[in-house]
Formats: sequence, C-alpha cells, structure tokens
Amino acid sequence: MTDALVKILDGNTFVVSDARGDIEASLTDPTGLFSFDTRFLSKWVLTVNGQRLNALSTDDVQYFEARFFLVPGTGTVYVDAKLSVIRQRAVGDGFHEELTILNHDENPVALEIRLDAASDFADLFEVKDALKKKGKYYTRSENGHLLLGYERETLTRETSISATAPALVDERGLTFNVEIDPHGSWTTDLNVVTAVIGPGQERAHPKYDRRGRRARPNMQQSLDTWLGEAPRLETDRDDLKGTYRRSLVDLAALRFSPPVMQGRSLPAAGLPWFMTMFGRDSIFTSLQALPFTPELAATTLVALGNWQGVRLDDFRDEDPGRILHEMRYGEMTAFEERPHSPYYGNADATPLYVVLLDEYERWTGDTKLVSDLEGEARAALNWIDQYADLMGNGYVSYRRRNEETGLENQCWKDSWDSISYRDGSLPGFPRATAELQGYAYDAKRRGARLSRLVWKDEELADRLEKEAADLKRRFNRDFWVEDDRYFALALDADGSQVDALASNNGHLLWSGIVDKSKAKAVVRHLMGPRLFSGWGIRTMAEGEGRYNPIGYHVGTIWPFDNSFIAWGLRRYGFKEEAAVIAAGMFDAARFFDGRLPEAFAGYERSQTKYPVQYPTSCSPQAWSTGAPLLLLRTMLGLEPLDGHLVVDPFLPQGIRALALLDIPGRWGHVDAFARGRTETGEPVRL
Amino acid sequence: MSDATEEFFLELGRRGNEPLLRNATGTIRFDLHRGDGVERWVVAMKNGDVAVSRRQVHADCVVRMDRALFDQLVRGRANAMAAVLRGVLSPEGDLGLLVLFQRLFPAASRSAERTAKITKGAA
Repeated sequence: MTDALVKILDGNTFVVSDARGDIEASLTDPTGLFSFDTRFLSKWVLTVNGQRLNALSTDDVQYFEARFFLVPGTGTVYVDAKLSVIRQRAVGDGFHEELTILNHDENPVALEIRLDAASDFADLFEVKDALKKKGKYYTRSENGHLLLGYERETLTRETSISATAPALVDERGLTFNVEIDPHGSWTTDLNVVTAVIGPGQERAHPKYDRRGRRARPNMQQSLDTWLGEAPRLETDRDDLKGTYRRSLVDLAALRFSPPVMQGRSLPAAGLPWFMTMFGRDSIFTSLQALPFTPELAATTLVALGNWQGVRLDDFRDEDPGRILHEMRYGEMTAFEERPHSPYYGNADATPLYVVLLDEYERWTGDTKLVSDLEGEARAALNWIDQYADLMGNGYVSYRRRNEETGLENQCWKDSWDSISYRDGSLPGFPRATAELQGYAYDAKRRGARLSRLVWKDEELADRLEKEAADLKRRFNRDFWVEDDRYFALALDADGSQVDALASNNGHLLWSGIVDKSKAKAVVRHLMGPRLFSGWGIRTMAEGEGRYNPIGYHVGTIWPFDNSFIAWGLRRYGFKEEAAVIAAGMFDAARFFDGRLPEAFAGYERSQTKYPVQYPTSCSPQAWSTGAPLLLLRTMLGLEPLDGHLVVDPFLPQGIRALALLDIPGRWGHVDAFARGRTETGEPVRL
Repeated sequence: MSDATEEFFLELGRRGNEPLLRNATGTIRFDLHRGDGVERWVVAMKNGDVAVSRRQVHADCVVRMDRALFDQLVRGRANAMAAVLRGVLSPEGDLGLLVLFQRLFPAASRSAERTAKITKGAA
C-alpha cells in the first residue's frame, strides 16, 4: 500500500482519500469529502468482517473518477485472497460509490460489510489552523438514510448517505449482511449527498441520474470536447506533447464555475485546496492560456468585474475599484471570522485586470466585452492612483488594514520573508514592490489603447499615456541599483531601495517598464549564475542574505514566474534567452510526468541532475499548469498585431520542429510552424 | 427608528440611474419578511436605468430575508455575501443580479474612521 492520497474533484467539490478509498480525517488531517470549503465527510472506512482492506491498485480514471481494487488482509508481502473488493467513485454534489465484492471461492461466503461514516463539518480554514467548532452536531437515521448534520444559528450543513442494497443504518454507519454464491458477486451503490441549507430552503437534489449508476460532474464540457477544441501540437519531441496534453487536462480539472456564472468557468488556483476564485491566479492563468482557451479569460474578466470592490471596508481590505484576492464559502467566512466574502487584500490583481482585458481583446477582437467592462476597467485604473499609492510617492504599495486576518504580503511572493534587503533584513510597511510598478505601467498603456479603440475617450488615453511615461521615468531612476545595474526588489516606507536581486526583474521586462538602455544589464543578471540555475530563474539570487535554494520565495524556481520572464525576454528581443528558459522548463517537466510543480529547488542543475520538487499541498497548481502554454507561445513568438497573428519562432537547442495548429483568435484559426537550429545556429533542414 | 429600507428604495427610485448597475439587466425582487407579512420591493434594471416598484411581477432573481436584515444591509451593518453563506439571505434565480445589486450597500460601519484617513485627494 502506498501513502499517496487519491484526489478527485468536480469544481469545488472534491474527495481526498487514502489509496484504499478510506477517509479517516483528524481536525488537522486534510482528507475528506469537501464542498464549498466545508468538509462534509471526515470518516468513510470500509471493513469486511471487521477487517480493513488492502489496496492492490488505484486508478484515477478521470479527474472526477477513481477506482480502487482491494483485498482483505493485513498487507503482508503475499496476498492470497478469496475476495476482491472494487470501489468505483465519482464526484458531483457529493459522491457516488459503486461497491462490488467478488467471491473467488468455490464455496458461498457470508460477509458483514460495514461502512463507518462521520463528519466534523470543518471549514477549510479550521483544517488549516486546527480550530474548534462553535455549533452543534446531530445524526439521524431515517428511511434507510444516514443523515449527518451540523447547525450553528441559521447555518446548516448536512450529509445524507444512502445505499441501493438493503442496509442496517445506525448513527455511525451502514452495515450489509450478505451471502455471496461461489464465484458470485454482490454490489451496491452508495450515494453521499452534501447540502447547504438556509431557513426555509430545501435540501439540494443529488445530481445523479435516476438509476444512480453514475455521478454527473457539474462541468458541462466534457474532457474530450475540451481537448478537441484546443490547438494541436506537433513536434519531434514526444515529451513536449505529453507536457502539453497534461497541461490541457489539468486546466480542465482546474476549471471552476462560481455559482453566479451560470455554468461558465474560470481557472481556479490549485487543486484541491484552492478550488476557488483568486484574482491574481485566475488572471495569470488566463493570460497564459489565452492562445489556447480564450474563453477562460472572458469568464475571469466578467466574474472578477462583478465582484470588483466598490466601498472602503477595512475588514475585507476592500477599496473602490480593487479586484478581489480570494473568495471562500465556508462557515468562518459566513460568520465573518475570516474576511473572504470576498477578501480584497492584494496589490497586483487590479492593474493585471486591465492587462488581461487588453490582451484578451488583442487576441479575440471581442470589443463588446471591453465595452461592457468599461466601468470596471476605469475603476481599476482609478484604484492605482487613488487607493494604491499609500505613501503618496506615485508608486503602488501595500499595507493591510485588517491586521488580524488580512494578508501581510499582497504581492505574488506572499511569504513573510520574501521581500528583503541584500543583508537579509526585512523592510516595514507599506512596501512598494518593483513588479507592481511594472503592472501599473502596463495597465496604463493598455488602458490607453482600449480607451482610444473602444471607449473613444482620447482625453483619458492621453492622460494614461502621460502618467505611464512619467511612472517609467521615475521608476528607472528610483528603483535602479546603480552599482550593480539591476532593479531593486522594492522601495520601503522611507523611499529607500530594498535592494536584494530577485526574479522580479524579469516581470519588469514583461511589463515593458524597463528602459531599453538598461535591458541588457537586467538580462545579464537574469541569465547569470546567481539567478539562473540551468533549469530556470530563481526567485532570489544566490548570495543574497536570505537566499535559500529551498526557501519558498527566496531561492526556489517557479515555472509560472519563468514563463512570464520568458515573455518579457521576448518583448525586449532576447529570443535566445527566452528559448533557454523554455528549454529548461520543458526539460524539468519530464521529471514530473509533464506536470510542472508550483516550485522546485534552486540547486544548480549540474549539482542535482534532476529538479528537486518543493513540497506543496496543491498539485496541479493553475499557473504552473499554464506555464508550458505560455512557453509554447514564447518559443513560437506568437503576437497578435493589427488583427493578424505574427509568428516569429525561436526554438532552443534540442527541439527540431514545433507546430501549433488551429490557434483560435480574431483571425479564425491559424497554424504556426517553427524549425530548430543546428549546433552552429543554422536552421535545421527536415 | 427611521426606516432605512424604505428610504433606500425610494431614493434609488428617485435617482432613476445607477452607474454601478450598468451591467445588470433584469428584475430583482426583495421579499422582506416581518412578522406574518411580506414587504415586496421590485427593482427593474437596464443598462444602469432603474425603476423601483412594489408590484407583484415576475422577477429574474428573488431574494428573501427578514426585513431587519435588509435594514442592516443598507445601514452598512451586515454583509450580503456573508449573510447568504449563513443562510439568512436566500437568493433564487439569476444570482449575478444580486452580486451586482449588493454594490449599492454601504461599507460596514467599522470601516468609517479608517476610510477618512486613507482617501487621498481626487484622482
């Protein structure tokens, strides 16, 4: 038996179990059936004649389905069982499990099959922080159903468990006393249905078909259709094809349809714990996926726009125009013990919202959406100047107003020690990190374009362009570390440079805020030995006070970060360097079965020979899933221009041919072809 | 006690236009319960134009709650999304309309002080 957890999901409903299919959660143990950020089942243990089972094999058939092949026994080396137990499980508003037992003996067998069930109805936040519940539990067995319930004032959560075969139901589970003929079998369907009930509301109906044979995932578009509609990749490198397919499948699993979006979906942040709307993650992933699945961007823009901040609310760190950080649906959010209804504390999603809107229009030509979201985009642009300039120095900075449960670091490097001076000391707040200024600059430039093109407001366009130019001029003066020729990580509250060298320099290239005259020096740092490991660019340079190759944001390598840096390198004409990054990432992906992790260690490539994974709880992570997509774009040099798609490929050594067919966009569908180079840099002849 | 709910709707009706609702098209109905009675408010929205009435009409989104809660919402003493999650505010139909409509509720009053401090000069 392996220790690996099996995770299946449908939207924000997911089941995490052990390899036997059992769930035995403690308050801090993250297994269970979860939905809307609540654990609806914390115990689900199968025994046969009082004995636990052993996993022979486990099969994640699809991301919403799993099959467990089990035998009774104690897990010795040699298993000679007369019984096989098969559990087939699928998620959809709870889960459906088909339990089958095969008798391989020539004699009949009498069995007591038992499923122990219980729920602690923990909020995800309680699982994280091991907090105690404030409400009351109840359990009922009625009409052959086992009903587990939890109540706190008006909030009710219930789990209903039933079986198609006759069962003895008690308050701790279901028992089946069965006799199976020689070489015969016995089967039952188990339905576990979650319900969130308010006063006067009825229990949700289970989303299973009438015969109860199969759960129906809520995601309307099947995986086959999803894959069929994505561009096709052709290349001599099979591992690239594998990585590409893995990305598409994972992106499908990461689709999340917020209750208000009527079936349309956007990318959630990570599976399974972050299956919810995140401003930053949903935007970055939508940007990465634009050439492949532009509809994700459209949904992201509409959903985040609908929830855009309109008021000043310190508890939620909400400002007018601010794009949300994270939405949650659990009990602690309901009782305002956590601010996620939604929580707005981030400083990058708002400018990035405008960046995504513009990039979306450039690819799709969908000016209607740009017109529909004019108010939201204007409010976002206004936020940059009116609410984000906390120090009054013309730079975007952050400091939480909710000091109890708000986020301290409101940039993507959100761990406590990510922003530091060279000597390792940490600045106070507010902090104006460098990449935020780049995003603000890009948002203004792109906002100006949309203003001219769609909103027909020349005055706004002129003003935004003027402000962008001014921001760029000041930024290149104030953030530039003159002695070493790179951009500081941040400005502190005194306006002094927080001067550690970090990967944020790469994001600055992507945003276009870097003076042309400084780009070469920046690239030299990015591709130099302190930042580039051979696999990719480290979050922080070797030699900095806080550098640690296995520190979350202070030395590890993030595929998402690297994909945007590669885009930045292309923007400034450094095609070969962008190709080197792409090659490193695709090489690394081979060691992870095509699924790039959130981060891996910053060790030298020559030192470890393989990329060492950083342990994180979520896999796949949306923006790591999107990284190969964006890197395909940068290798092919795809850029929409005046209604056409420009293809300007540059492949790294080791890729001889690359073609992406049926790229959707305002041009209909087009193909992009690239040929590799020989060792001497000559194009490969195929 | 002044009637915050009634004031809210009458004022919205007088304005006739609300830019925060320009993406909302449809009718939202609030069934506010007090004792045995139900007080009904209907807001028809189209491209920012709003018409408030009390007629019994078909609505794309029906929102039920105690009238006391609605009072709290329009006074900035409760949060609509948290109320939905607690089960005290139950929406039916096009939930997107409620997401847009909740933009009209003011901030929680505990933010008022801080608000004055951080708002800089005009853009």
